[in-house]
Amino acid sequence: MSLRKLAEAWEHFFFTPQSPVPIAVFRILYGICVSATVILMHGDWLEWFGVQAWISPSMMAKVEPGPRLTLFAVMPADDRWIAAFFWIFLGFAVLLTVGLWTRFSSVAVFLCLASIQQRNLLITHGGDAFLRVAGFFLMFAPAGAAFSLDRLIRIRRNREGSAVTPSAPWAQRMIQFELALLYFTSFLWKLKGHTWLHGTALYYVVHLHSIARFPLPEWIQRPMILQIGSWFALLLEFSLGVLIWFRPFRYPLLLLGLLFHLSLEYALNLPMFQWDILAAYVLFLDPADMDRVRSVLRQQWVRHGGASRTAA
Amino acid sequence: MPWNVSAVREVKELVRPYMVWSGLFQTWDMFAPDPKSINSYVRAVVITQDRHIKVWNFPRMEELSFWQRYRKERYRKFAEVLPEREEALWPDVAAHLARRFNGQDDPPYKVLLIQFRADIRPGTDESSEPVYKPNLFYEGYVEPGDLR
Repeated sequence: MSLRKLAEAWEHFFFTPQSPVPIAVFRILYGICVSATVILMHGDWLEWFGVQAWISPSMMAKVEPGPRLTLFAVMPADDRWIAAFFWIFLGFAVLLTVGLWTRFSSVAVFLCLASIQQRNLLITHGGDAFLRVAGFFLMFAPAGAAFSLDRLIRIRRNREGSAVTPSAPWAQRMIQFELALLYFTSFLWKLKGHTWLHGTALYYVVHLHSIARFPLPEWIQRPMILQIGSWFALLLEFSLGVLIWFRPFRYPLLLLGLLFHLSLEYALNLPMFQWDILAAYVLFLDPADMDRVRSVLRQQWVRHGGASRTAA
Repeated sequence: MPWNVSAVREVKELVRPYMVWSGLFQTWDMFAPDPKSINSYVRAVVITQDRHIKVWNFPRMEELSFWQRYRKERYRKFAEVLPEREEALWPDVAAHLARRFNGQDDPPYKVLLIQFRADIRPGTDESSEPVYKPNLFYEGYVEPGDLR
Protein backbone atom coordinates (compact mmCIF):
# COMPACT_ATOMS: atom_id res chain seq x y z
CA MET A 1 0.00 0.00 0.00
CA SER A 2 1.42 3.37 -0.99
CA LEU A 3 1.68 6.25 1.43
CA ARG A 4 -1.00 8.12 -0.48
CA LYS A 5 -3.44 5.25 -0.18
CA LEU A 6 -2.61 4.96 3.51
CA ALA A 7 -3.35 8.66 3.98
CA GLU A 8 -6.62 8.27 2.11
CA ALA A 9 -7.61 5.29 4.22
CA TRP A 10 -6.76 7.27 7.37
CA GLU A 11 -8.80 10.24 6.15
CA HIS A 12 -11.73 8.00 5.27
CA PHE A 13 -11.62 6.09 8.57
CA PHE A 14 -11.47 9.14 10.82
CA PHE A 15 -13.02 11.97 8.87
CA THR A 16 -15.48 10.80 6.19
CA PRO A 17 -18.83 11.92 7.58
CA GLN A 18 -21.04 9.12 8.84
CA SER A 19 -24.29 8.83 10.71
CA PRO A 20 -24.02 9.98 14.34
CA VAL A 21 -26.61 7.40 15.41
CA PRO A 22 -24.05 4.95 16.95
CA ILE A 23 -22.39 7.67 19.05
CA ALA A 24 -25.82 9.01 20.06
CA VAL A 25 -26.93 5.56 21.23
CA PHE A 26 -23.61 5.20 23.03
CA ARG A 27 -24.22 8.57 24.72
CA ILE A 28 -27.51 7.27 26.13
CA LEU A 29 -25.97 4.00 27.36
CA TYR A 30 -22.95 5.87 28.71
CA GLY A 31 -25.15 8.32 30.60
CA ILE A 32 -27.09 5.43 32.14
CA CYS A 33 -23.85 3.71 33.20
CA VAL A 34 -22.48 6.90 34.80
CA SER A 35 -25.79 7.63 36.55
CA ALA A 36 -25.99 4.07 37.86
CA THR A 37 -22.40 4.26 39.13
CA VAL A 38 -23.11 7.47 41.04
CA ILE A 39 -26.40 6.11 42.45
CA LEU A 40 -24.81 2.83 43.54
CA MET A 41 -22.21 4.76 45.53
CA HIS A 42 -24.79 7.12 47.04
CA GLY A 43 -24.66 5.74 50.60
CA ASP A 44 -20.87 6.06 50.67
CA TRP A 45 -20.21 9.36 48.88
CA LEU A 46 -18.77 10.92 51.99
CA GLU A 47 -17.07 7.73 53.20
CA TRP A 48 -14.96 7.66 50.04
CA PHE A 49 -14.78 11.32 49.05
CA GLY A 50 -15.78 13.38 52.10
CA VAL A 51 -13.65 15.60 54.30
CA GLN A 52 -13.04 12.71 56.68
CA ALA A 53 -12.96 9.96 54.09
CA TRP A 54 -11.02 6.73 54.39
CA ILE A 55 -8.10 8.29 52.52
CA SER A 56 -7.39 12.01 52.82
CA PRO A 57 -6.72 14.10 49.68
CA SER A 58 -3.18 14.81 50.87
CA MET A 59 -2.45 11.10 51.31
CA MET A 60 -3.90 10.31 47.89
CA ALA A 61 -1.63 12.96 46.38
CA LYS A 62 1.30 11.37 48.19
CA VAL A 63 0.73 7.83 46.91
CA GLU A 64 -0.38 8.94 43.43
CA PRO A 65 1.80 12.02 42.86
CA GLY A 66 1.60 14.56 40.08
CA PRO A 67 -0.82 17.32 39.13
CA ARG A 68 -4.30 16.07 38.32
CA LEU A 69 -7.42 17.50 36.75
CA THR A 70 -9.84 17.35 39.67
CA LEU A 71 -12.58 19.64 40.90
CA PHE A 72 -11.82 18.54 44.46
CA ALA A 73 -8.73 20.76 44.26
CA VAL A 74 -10.90 23.88 44.02
CA MET A 75 -13.88 22.74 46.09
CA PRO A 76 -14.20 23.92 49.71
CA ALA A 77 -13.36 21.13 52.16
CA ASP A 78 -16.92 20.81 53.37
CA ASP A 79 -19.14 17.73 53.21
CA ARG A 80 -22.14 19.80 52.17
CA TRP A 81 -20.24 20.97 49.09
CA ILE A 82 -19.13 17.45 48.33
CA ALA A 83 -22.68 16.07 48.62
CA ALA A 84 -23.93 18.92 46.39
CA PHE A 85 -21.19 18.08 43.90
CA PHE A 86 -22.50 14.52 43.61
CA TRP A 87 -26.09 15.67 43.07
CA ILE A 88 -24.93 18.06 40.37
CA PHE A 89 -22.83 15.28 38.84
CA LEU A 90 -25.89 13.00 38.78
CA GLY A 91 -27.97 15.80 37.28
CA PHE A 92 -25.52 16.28 34.41
CA ALA A 93 -25.32 12.51 33.84
CA VAL A 94 -29.12 12.48 33.43
CA LEU A 95 -28.98 15.51 31.11
CA LEU A 96 -26.35 13.75 29.03
CA THR A 97 -28.53 10.64 28.83
CA VAL A 98 -31.52 12.55 27.52
CA GLY A 99 -29.31 14.78 25.37
CA LEU A 100 -30.05 18.19 26.81
CA TRP A 101 -27.19 20.72 26.59
CA THR A 102 -25.30 17.68 25.38
CA ARG A 103 -21.88 19.23 24.80
CA PHE A 104 -21.84 21.09 28.11
CA SER A 105 -23.22 18.05 29.95
CA SER A 106 -20.55 15.80 28.48
CA VAL A 107 -17.82 18.18 29.64
CA ALA A 108 -19.36 18.38 33.11
CA VAL A 109 -19.73 14.59 33.36
CA PHE A 110 -16.12 14.01 32.30
CA LEU A 111 -14.82 16.56 34.81
CA CYS A 112 -16.89 15.10 37.64
CA LEU A 113 -15.99 11.51 36.76
CA ALA A 114 -12.29 12.30 36.49
CA SER A 115 -12.49 14.21 39.78
CA ILE A 116 -13.97 11.39 41.85
CA GLN A 117 -11.63 8.82 40.37
CA GLN A 118 -8.55 10.98 40.91
CA ARG A 119 -9.75 11.65 44.45
CA ASN A 120 -9.73 7.93 45.28
CA LEU A 121 -7.98 5.72 42.76
CA LEU A 122 -7.95 2.75 45.11
CA ILE A 123 -11.60 1.89 44.56
CA THR A 124 -11.88 2.29 40.80
CA HIS A 125 -12.08 -0.68 38.47
CA GLY A 126 -11.34 -1.04 34.77
CA GLY A 127 -14.92 -0.20 33.83
CA ASP A 128 -14.70 3.11 35.72
CA ALA A 129 -11.45 3.97 33.98
CA PHE A 130 -12.97 3.11 30.62
CA LEU A 131 -15.90 5.44 31.33
CA ARG A 132 -13.44 8.19 32.18
CA VAL A 133 -11.38 7.81 29.00
CA ALA A 134 -14.45 7.34 26.78
CA GLY A 135 -15.98 10.40 28.46
CA PHE A 136 -13.01 12.47 27.35
CA PHE A 137 -13.58 11.63 23.68
CA LEU A 138 -17.35 11.89 24.02
CA MET A 139 -16.87 15.61 24.72
CA PHE A 140 -15.68 16.05 21.13
CA ALA A 141 -18.25 13.77 19.49
CA PRO A 142 -21.55 14.81 17.87
CA ALA A 143 -23.29 12.93 20.65
CA GLY A 144 -26.38 15.14 20.65
CA ALA A 145 -26.93 14.93 16.89
CA ALA A 146 -29.53 12.16 17.24
CA PHE A 147 -31.92 10.80 19.87
CA SER A 148 -31.58 13.93 21.98
CA LEU A 149 -33.73 16.70 23.38
CA ASP A 150 -31.26 19.13 21.83
CA ARG A 151 -32.17 17.78 18.39
CA LEU A 152 -35.89 17.96 19.14
CA ILE A 153 -35.46 21.58 20.17
CA ARG A 154 -33.47 22.34 17.00
CA ILE A 155 -36.14 20.72 14.80
CA ARG A 156 -38.86 22.62 16.60
CA ARG A 157 -37.03 25.89 16.00
CA ASN A 158 -36.54 24.96 12.31
CA ARG A 159 -32.77 24.90 12.69
CA GLU A 160 -32.53 21.29 11.58
CA GLY A 161 -34.40 19.02 9.18
CA SER A 162 -35.80 15.59 9.88
CA ALA A 163 -32.71 13.85 8.44
CA VAL A 164 -29.75 13.38 10.76
CA THR A 165 -26.66 15.24 9.55
CA PRO A 166 -23.59 13.01 9.06
CA SER A 167 -20.36 14.12 10.74
CA ALA A 168 -16.70 13.10 11.11
CA PRO A 169 -16.49 10.04 13.39
CA TRP A 170 -12.95 10.58 14.73
CA ALA A 171 -14.03 10.80 18.37
CA GLN A 172 -16.10 7.64 18.00
CA ARG A 173 -13.09 5.92 16.45
CA MET A 174 -10.95 6.89 19.43
CA ILE A 175 -13.42 5.25 21.82
CA GLN A 176 -13.47 2.18 19.59
CA PHE A 177 -9.67 2.12 19.68
CA GLU A 178 -9.73 2.46 23.45
CA LEU A 179 -12.00 -0.55 23.77
CA ALA A 180 -9.97 -2.68 21.38
CA LEU A 181 -6.79 -1.62 23.16
CA LEU A 182 -8.25 -2.68 26.49
CA TYR A 183 -8.89 -6.18 25.26
CA PHE A 184 -5.51 -6.46 23.58
CA THR A 185 -3.65 -5.13 26.63
CA SER A 186 -5.58 -7.51 28.84
CA PHE A 187 -4.54 -10.36 26.55
CA LEU A 188 -0.88 -9.29 26.74
CA TRP A 189 -0.95 -8.99 30.54
CA LYS A 190 -2.42 -12.45 30.84
CA LEU A 191 0.35 -13.88 28.67
CA LYS A 192 2.82 -12.68 31.30
CA GLY A 193 1.33 -15.02 33.89
CA HIS A 194 1.37 -18.79 33.83
CA THR A 195 -2.16 -19.67 34.97
CA TRP A 196 -3.90 -18.44 31.80
CA LEU A 197 -1.64 -20.40 29.49
CA HIS A 198 -1.75 -23.38 31.83
CA GLY A 199 -5.54 -23.14 31.88
CA THR A 200 -5.95 -22.95 35.67
CA ALA A 201 -6.76 -19.23 35.88
CA LEU A 202 -10.53 -19.59 35.90
CA TYR A 203 -10.28 -22.14 38.71
CA TYR A 204 -8.91 -19.38 40.94
CA VAL A 205 -11.41 -16.82 39.65
CA VAL A 206 -14.46 -18.96 40.44
CA HIS A 207 -13.04 -19.73 43.91
CA LEU A 208 -12.61 -16.10 44.91
CA HIS A 209 -15.46 -15.81 47.39
CA SER A 210 -15.40 -12.02 47.57
CA ILE A 211 -16.32 -11.53 43.91
CA ALA A 212 -18.71 -14.44 43.51
CA ARG A 213 -22.25 -13.46 42.63
CA PHE A 214 -24.85 -16.04 41.65
CA PRO A 215 -24.14 -19.75 42.12
CA LEU A 216 -22.54 -21.52 39.19
CA PRO A 217 -23.79 -24.87 37.86
CA GLU A 218 -21.70 -27.86 38.91
CA TRP A 219 -20.63 -28.77 35.38
CA ILE A 220 -19.04 -25.38 34.76
CA GLN A 221 -16.72 -25.92 37.71
CA ARG A 222 -15.19 -29.08 36.28
CA PRO A 223 -11.43 -28.61 35.73
CA MET A 224 -11.61 -29.34 32.02
CA ILE A 225 -14.40 -26.80 31.43
CA LEU A 226 -12.50 -24.17 33.43
CA GLN A 227 -9.36 -24.94 31.44
CA ILE A 228 -11.18 -24.51 28.13
CA GLY A 229 -12.82 -21.37 29.51
CA SER A 230 -9.42 -19.88 30.44
CA TRP A 231 -8.07 -20.42 26.94
CA PHE A 232 -11.30 -19.18 25.38
CA ALA A 233 -11.03 -15.95 27.40
CA LEU A 234 -7.50 -15.42 26.09
CA LEU A 235 -8.53 -16.08 22.51
CA LEU A 236 -11.58 -13.86 22.77
CA GLU A 237 -9.63 -10.95 24.26
CA PHE A 238 -7.08 -11.18 21.48
CA SER A 239 -9.86 -11.34 18.86
CA LEU A 240 -11.79 -8.41 20.34
CA GLY A 241 -8.59 -6.39 20.31
CA VAL A 242 -7.40 -7.24 16.82
CA LEU A 243 -9.87 -9.15 14.65
CA ILE A 244 -12.74 -6.81 15.54
CA TRP A 245 -11.37 -4.38 12.94
CA PHE A 246 -12.02 -6.86 10.13
CA ARG A 247 -15.60 -6.68 8.96
CA PRO A 248 -16.27 -10.45 8.47
CA PHE A 249 -15.33 -11.18 12.10
CA ARG A 250 -16.99 -8.14 13.67
CA TYR A 251 -20.58 -9.21 14.38
CA PRO A 252 -19.75 -12.79 15.43
CA LEU A 253 -17.11 -11.37 17.82
CA LEU A 254 -19.51 -8.78 19.21
CA LEU A 255 -22.03 -11.53 19.85
CA LEU A 256 -19.42 -13.70 21.57
CA GLY A 257 -18.23 -10.69 23.58
CA LEU A 258 -21.81 -9.94 24.61
CA LEU A 259 -22.34 -13.51 25.82
CA PHE A 260 -18.94 -13.45 27.55
CA HIS A 261 -19.71 -10.26 29.48
CA LEU A 262 -23.25 -11.37 30.34
CA SER A 263 -21.88 -14.62 31.77
CA LEU A 264 -19.35 -12.60 33.79
CA GLU A 265 -22.16 -10.33 34.99
CA TYR A 266 -23.97 -13.43 36.25
CA ALA A 267 -20.92 -15.03 37.85
CA LEU A 268 -18.94 -12.09 39.22
CA ASN A 269 -19.94 -9.26 41.49
CA LEU A 270 -18.24 -6.35 39.71
CA PRO A 271 -20.87 -3.60 39.69
CA MET A 272 -21.40 -1.93 36.30
CA PHE A 273 -18.11 -3.28 34.97
CA GLN A 274 -19.62 -5.41 32.20
CA TRP A 275 -22.24 -2.79 31.29
CA ASP A 276 -19.59 -0.06 31.04
CA ILE A 277 -17.75 -2.14 28.46
CA LEU A 278 -20.81 -3.46 26.62
CA ALA A 279 -22.13 0.09 26.16
CA ALA A 280 -19.29 0.75 23.72
CA TYR A 281 -20.14 -2.28 21.55
CA VAL A 282 -22.77 -0.17 19.84
CA LEU A 283 -19.97 1.93 18.32
CA PHE A 284 -18.91 -1.06 16.24
CA LEU A 285 -22.32 -1.42 14.62
CA ASP A 286 -22.69 -0.23 11.05
CA PRO A 287 -25.06 2.78 10.99
CA ALA A 288 -26.76 1.28 7.91
CA ASP A 289 -27.47 -1.91 9.87
CA MET A 290 -28.80 0.15 12.76
CA ASP A 291 -31.11 1.98 10.35
CA ARG A 292 -32.32 -1.36 8.99
CA VAL A 293 -33.07 -2.62 12.51
CA ARG A 294 -34.79 0.67 13.30
CA SER A 295 -37.02 0.49 10.22
CA VAL A 296 -37.91 -3.17 10.96
CA LEU A 297 -38.82 -2.22 14.52
CA ARG A 298 -40.81 0.74 13.25
CA GLN A 299 -42.69 -1.49 10.81
CA GLN A 300 -43.41 -3.94 13.61
CA TRP A 301 -44.61 -1.08 15.77
CA VAL A 302 -46.86 0.31 13.02
CA ARG A 303 -48.21 -3.17 12.22
CA HIS A 304 -48.82 -3.86 15.90
CA GLY A 305 -50.37 -0.42 16.39
CA GLY A 306 -52.47 -0.87 13.23
CA ALA A 307 -53.69 -4.27 14.42
CA SER A 308 -54.60 -2.78 17.80
CA ARG A 309 -56.50 0.05 16.14
CA THR A 310 -58.32 -2.42 13.85
CA ALA A 311 -59.27 -4.54 16.87
CA ALA A 312 -60.50 -1.42 18.66
CA MET B 1 1.13 -2.16 27.54
CA PRO B 2 3.24 -4.70 29.44
CA TRP B 3 6.27 -4.26 27.20
CA ASN B 4 9.58 -3.56 28.85
CA VAL B 5 11.25 -2.07 25.78
CA SER B 6 13.41 1.01 26.23
CA ALA B 7 11.69 3.00 23.43
CA VAL B 8 8.24 2.21 24.90
CA ARG B 9 9.51 3.09 28.37
CA GLU B 10 10.81 6.44 27.18
CA VAL B 11 7.59 7.33 25.37
CA LYS B 12 5.61 6.30 28.46
CA GLU B 13 7.76 8.53 30.68
CA LEU B 14 7.31 11.42 28.27
CA VAL B 15 3.52 11.27 28.00
CA ARG B 16 2.77 9.98 31.49
CA PRO B 17 2.38 13.38 33.24
CA TYR B 18 -0.11 14.56 30.61
CA MET B 19 -2.07 11.32 30.66
CA VAL B 20 -2.18 11.34 34.45
CA TRP B 21 -3.26 14.98 34.60
CA SER B 22 -6.02 14.59 32.02
CA GLY B 23 -7.28 11.25 33.35
CA LEU B 24 -6.52 9.45 30.09
CA PHE B 25 -4.49 6.70 31.73
CA GLN B 26 -5.89 3.22 31.82
CA THR B 27 -4.65 -0.15 33.04
CA TRP B 28 -6.35 -3.39 32.16
CA ASP B 29 -4.85 -6.01 34.36
CA MET B 30 -7.86 -7.59 35.99
CA PHE B 31 -7.06 -11.21 36.88
CA ALA B 32 -3.71 -10.62 35.15
CA PRO B 33 -0.95 -11.64 34.92
CA ASP B 34 -2.54 -14.23 37.23
CA PRO B 35 -5.74 -14.14 39.29
CA LYS B 36 -5.33 -13.90 43.05
CA SER B 37 -4.76 -17.27 44.64
CA ILE B 38 -6.02 -16.34 48.08
CA ASN B 39 -9.33 -15.47 49.65
CA SER B 40 -9.01 -12.67 52.16
CA TYR B 41 -10.84 -10.16 54.28
CA VAL B 42 -9.77 -7.34 56.58
CA ARG B 43 -10.82 -6.70 60.14
CA ALA B 44 -9.98 -3.68 62.28
CA VAL B 45 -9.58 -3.75 66.05
CA VAL B 46 -9.86 -0.48 67.95
CA ILE B 47 -8.64 -0.45 71.56
CA THR B 48 -9.91 2.39 73.73
CA GLN B 49 -8.22 4.23 76.61
CA ASP B 50 -10.17 2.07 79.08
CA ARG B 51 -8.94 -1.04 77.26
CA HIS B 52 -12.28 -1.84 75.66
CA ILE B 53 -11.96 -3.70 72.38
CA LYS B 54 -14.13 -2.79 69.42
CA VAL B 55 -14.06 -4.74 66.17
CA TRP B 56 -15.02 -3.42 62.75
CA ASN B 57 -15.22 -5.69 59.74
CA PHE B 58 -14.76 -4.34 56.26
CA PRO B 59 -17.95 -5.57 54.57
CA ARG B 60 -17.41 -9.12 53.29
CA MET B 61 -19.28 -9.51 50.03
CA GLU B 62 -20.08 -13.17 50.60
CA GLU B 63 -22.01 -12.24 53.76
CA LEU B 64 -24.17 -9.55 52.12
CA SER B 65 -27.38 -9.80 50.13
CA PHE B 66 -27.06 -9.63 46.33
CA TRP B 67 -28.20 -6.01 46.29
CA GLN B 68 -25.98 -4.98 49.18
CA ARG B 69 -22.89 -6.59 47.70
CA TYR B 70 -23.56 -4.74 44.44
CA ARG B 71 -23.66 -1.45 46.33
CA LYS B 72 -20.78 -2.13 48.71
CA GLU B 73 -18.36 -3.74 46.29
CA ARG B 74 -15.98 -0.79 46.54
CA TYR B 75 -15.16 -2.01 50.06
CA ARG B 76 -14.07 -5.34 48.60
CA LYS B 77 -11.69 -3.57 46.27
CA PHE B 78 -10.43 -1.29 49.05
CA ALA B 79 -9.87 -4.11 51.54
CA GLU B 80 -8.07 -6.10 48.87
CA VAL B 81 -5.61 -3.41 47.82
CA LEU B 82 -5.07 -1.96 51.29
CA PRO B 83 -2.63 -4.57 52.67
CA GLU B 84 -0.80 -4.67 49.33
CA ARG B 85 -0.44 -0.95 48.69
CA GLU B 86 1.87 1.56 50.30
CA GLU B 87 2.11 1.59 54.05
CA ALA B 88 1.55 5.34 53.94
CA LEU B 89 -2.18 4.72 53.50
CA TRP B 90 -2.64 2.75 56.70
CA PRO B 91 -2.50 5.62 59.24
CA ASP B 92 -5.28 7.39 57.30
CA VAL B 93 -7.44 4.28 57.46
CA ALA B 94 -6.65 3.87 61.15
CA ALA B 95 -7.57 7.51 61.81
CA HIS B 96 -10.88 7.04 60.00
CA LEU B 97 -11.66 4.02 62.17
CA ALA B 98 -10.61 5.88 65.31
CA ARG B 99 -13.08 8.67 64.48
CA ARG B 100 -15.77 6.06 63.94
CA PHE B 101 -15.31 4.78 67.50
CA ASN B 102 -14.55 8.10 69.13
CA GLY B 103 -16.53 8.18 72.38
CA GLN B 104 -16.32 11.29 74.60
CA ASP B 105 -15.61 9.30 77.77
CA ASP B 106 -13.51 6.54 76.29
CA PRO B 107 -11.57 7.68 73.21
CA PRO B 108 -9.68 5.24 70.99
CA TYR B 109 -6.07 4.58 71.88
CA LYS B 110 -4.78 2.08 69.38
CA VAL B 111 -5.86 0.62 66.02
CA LEU B 112 -4.89 -2.73 64.52
CA LEU B 113 -5.54 -3.76 60.92
CA ILE B 114 -5.58 -7.49 60.31
CA GLN B 115 -5.90 -9.31 57.03
CA PHE B 116 -7.19 -12.90 57.17
CA ARG B 117 -5.99 -15.03 54.27
CA ALA B 118 -6.75 -18.52 53.03
CA ASP B 119 -4.95 -20.09 50.08
CA ILE B 120 -6.98 -21.41 47.17
CA ARG B 121 -5.54 -24.86 46.50
CA PRO B 122 -6.64 -26.63 43.33
CA GLY B 123 -7.52 -30.25 43.92
CA THR B 124 -8.34 -29.94 47.63
CA ASP B 125 -11.67 -30.87 49.18
CA GLU B 126 -13.92 -27.92 48.37
CA SER B 127 -16.64 -28.89 50.81
CA SER B 128 -14.47 -28.05 53.84
CA GLU B 129 -14.34 -24.47 55.07
CA PRO B 130 -11.13 -22.59 54.17
CA VAL B 131 -8.76 -21.95 57.06
CA TYR B 132 -8.04 -18.22 57.36
CA LYS B 133 -4.73 -17.17 58.89
CA PRO B 134 -4.35 -13.69 60.41
CA ASN B 135 -1.73 -11.24 59.21
CA LEU B 136 -1.38 -8.12 61.34
CA PHE B 137 -0.26 -5.49 58.85
CA TYR B 138 -0.75 -2.30 60.85
CA GLU B 139 -0.58 -1.42 64.51
CA GLY B 140 -0.58 2.22 65.50
CA TYR B 141 -1.47 4.58 68.32
CA VAL B 142 -4.15 7.20 67.82
CA GLU B 143 -2.82 10.76 67.84
CA PRO B 144 -5.05 13.58 69.16
CA GLY B 145 -5.08 15.11 65.66
CA ASP B 146 -6.55 11.90 64.19
CA LEU B 147 -9.84 12.44 65.99
CA ARG B 148 -10.51 15.89 64.55
